[in-house]
Amino acid sequence: MRPGEASAPAVGRREPAAERGPKQGAAGLLTRYAALVRAAWLTDLQYRAAIAIWLVLGVAQPLVTLAVWWVVAGEGQVGGYDQADFAQYFFALMLVDQLTLAWDVWYIDRWIREGELNFRLARPLDPIHEAIADNIAYKMKTGALVLAVWAGVALFWPAVRLEVGPGRFALAALAVALAAAIRFLTSYVNGLLAFWTTRATAIAELHFGLSLFLAGRIAPLSLLPPAVAGVAGVLWFPYMLAFPVEVLTGAVATGPELLRGFGWQCFWLAAWIAAYRLVWTRGLRRYGAVGG
Amino acid sequence: MPAILVEGLTKHYRVKVREPGLGGAVRALFRPRYREVRAVDAVSFRIEAGEVVGFLGPNGAGKTTTIKMLAGLLYPTSGRVEVVGFEPWRGGPAFKSRFALVLGNKQQLIWDLPPEETFLVNRAIYGIGWPEYRRALDELVALLRLEDVLGRPVRQLSQGERMKCELAAALLHRPEVLFLDEPTLGLDVNAQETIRAFVRDYSQRHGATVLLTSHYMADVTALAERVLIINHGTLLYDGALATLAERTLPVKRVTLVLAAPVPRAGLERYGTVREYEPPRAVLEVPRQDAARLSARLLAELPVLDLGISDPPVEEVIRAVFAAPAGPADAAIWSAGAAPAARAAAREGRQEPQEAE
Repeated sequence: MRPGEASAPAVGRREPAAERGPKQGAAGLLTRYAALVRAAWLTDLQYRAAIAIWLVLGVAQPLVTLAVWWVVAGEGQVGGYDQADFAQYFFALMLVDQLTLAWDVWYIDRWIREGELNFRLARPLDPIHEAIADNIAYKMKTGALVLAVWAGVALFWPAVRLEVGPGRFALAALAVALAAAIRFLTSYVNGLLAFWTTRATAIAELHFGLSLFLAGRIAPLSLLPPAVAGVAGVLWFPYMLAFPVEVLTGAVATGPELLRGFGWQCFWLAAWIAAYRLVWTRGLRRYGAVGG
Repeated sequence: MPAILVEGLTKHYRVKVREPGLGGAVRALFRPRYREVRAVDAVSFRIEAGEVVGFLGPNGAGKTTTIKMLAGLLYPTSGRVEVVGFEPWRGGPAFKSRFALVLGNKQQLIWDLPPEETFLVNRAIYGIGWPEYRRALDELVALLRLEDVLGRPVRQLSQGERMKCELAAALLHRPEVLFLDEPTLGLDVNAQETIRAFVRDYSQRHGATVLLTSHYMADVTALAERVLIINHGTLLYDGALATLAERTLPVKRVTLVLAAPVPRAGLERYGTVREYEPPRAVLEVPRQDAARLSARLLAELPVLDLGISDPPVEEVIRAVFAAPAGPADAAIWSAGAAPAARAAAREGRQEPQEAE
């Protein structure tokens, strides 16, 4: 929220009910999300080809990585993973990656640097809702697409089939939702750094580079050197990707493992929400001080 | 209660001074030097509900900075602002639902979709009920003649059509106050005229208060009886456009059509010759002498036709900015409306630096 967003109007003005501005409750928010998601969907439809290319690029990396591990595991298990395990891991990764994808840093950076934030600040809705609605719209579409492709492939290639009961599916869905929220916030907060620096997107590249290893993109975390895996385990990276992937494949299945994973997810979600609040409030103050 | 009240509004920025070259860059890294920029300096005015006021000034004069402070996007360094009873920065959604900000160089329309999709998003964001939305949209479509553009993607619209849709998107929630920053920027003459007619009509119908900045004098003369003139962050003039001409350029233009050739020197006896294209000539004469000199011209020269007019407003404004910029002039012009500026003048405050 902007500073003072919720505060009462100044100078003791009498506020007739009709002049209080848009409804702020859940119903009001739902109407707004419906409109924003619809607009985002329609916009995405205009970019069918571009989205198809992003999607192909997005699934290419896990598939290439899978191909490498497939060859390596041809000579026997690697760190407890055989070929079928790798196939499942990277197919799940492909899906979870699409469902948690966050590109917001690029948008927010542009909003701030090119003055597109101005009209958004003048509207009675925090701009973060527009970004969230954008994410929901995109993920509904690409998630469904990847799921369909996976189901199609699983028909012919038993290795990637998952035995997912309703319980595990629900847990995986929760883990994916939390992961998407964390990943979204990292990208959004990163974008907000544009209030101070012109290098926000460079920081995002660095973050992505680290996530290759620490989020389980290149390999399941258990294959990393123990020291690296240990560091990764207390950072937010694996909880944006590897953890929900492993819940889905069943690699993380015991009660304590699940509890620890979800605990870390909740912790990092709370931490990133706090970071968002801090950066947004400070950033707006700076924007307000030096102009856009 | 005035719609907009501004008292001693000041906005100073501290900007890093970057010296050219590698050495400068390295020095700036270790010992950054800052320069204070006075974007807006002790500006005061009040605008009553329903007034349409033109806000004039060259690039970097402080117009946009002032408007951004009024809309709550920027914090003032000091001073007081109240817009429809709200302190803009703290107004929140209740305040934001009562004004519209249209920036001529930035659009809120969704580029790839027809404008109606942006309207629907704004309907939801502003919480406008369907009947009110329909009513407002019908009115805006009729006033701005938007029937043919509603269904076409924004990227296919001309700049003028886009600005019309931009205005419609900004006004669906029937704001009481409109901040229009260069709404006719880059538009052709027809489109400019449509926008002007619309703003005039809208403000009359709904009693909306309008603060309009523009580079085009025609915008201001067509819409606003009152103008605020700002330069170097200081308010130079606040009052009627007509009075401004009297004070700044106390001259009249006498346009003559002559029946027989009269040498240029023959005309110069009466006043300054501004144009000399026989048989037509334009003389500039002191305002108070215009009637007497015209009578003499008619009596002494073979005049076919004679007209008296004010100098074009562009020239008046140019004269304002060409006058020694500074607080002394503010003291002369800001009759009653800018006490802070006059106080600054008395203190002989240093001329502020340019910034926007």
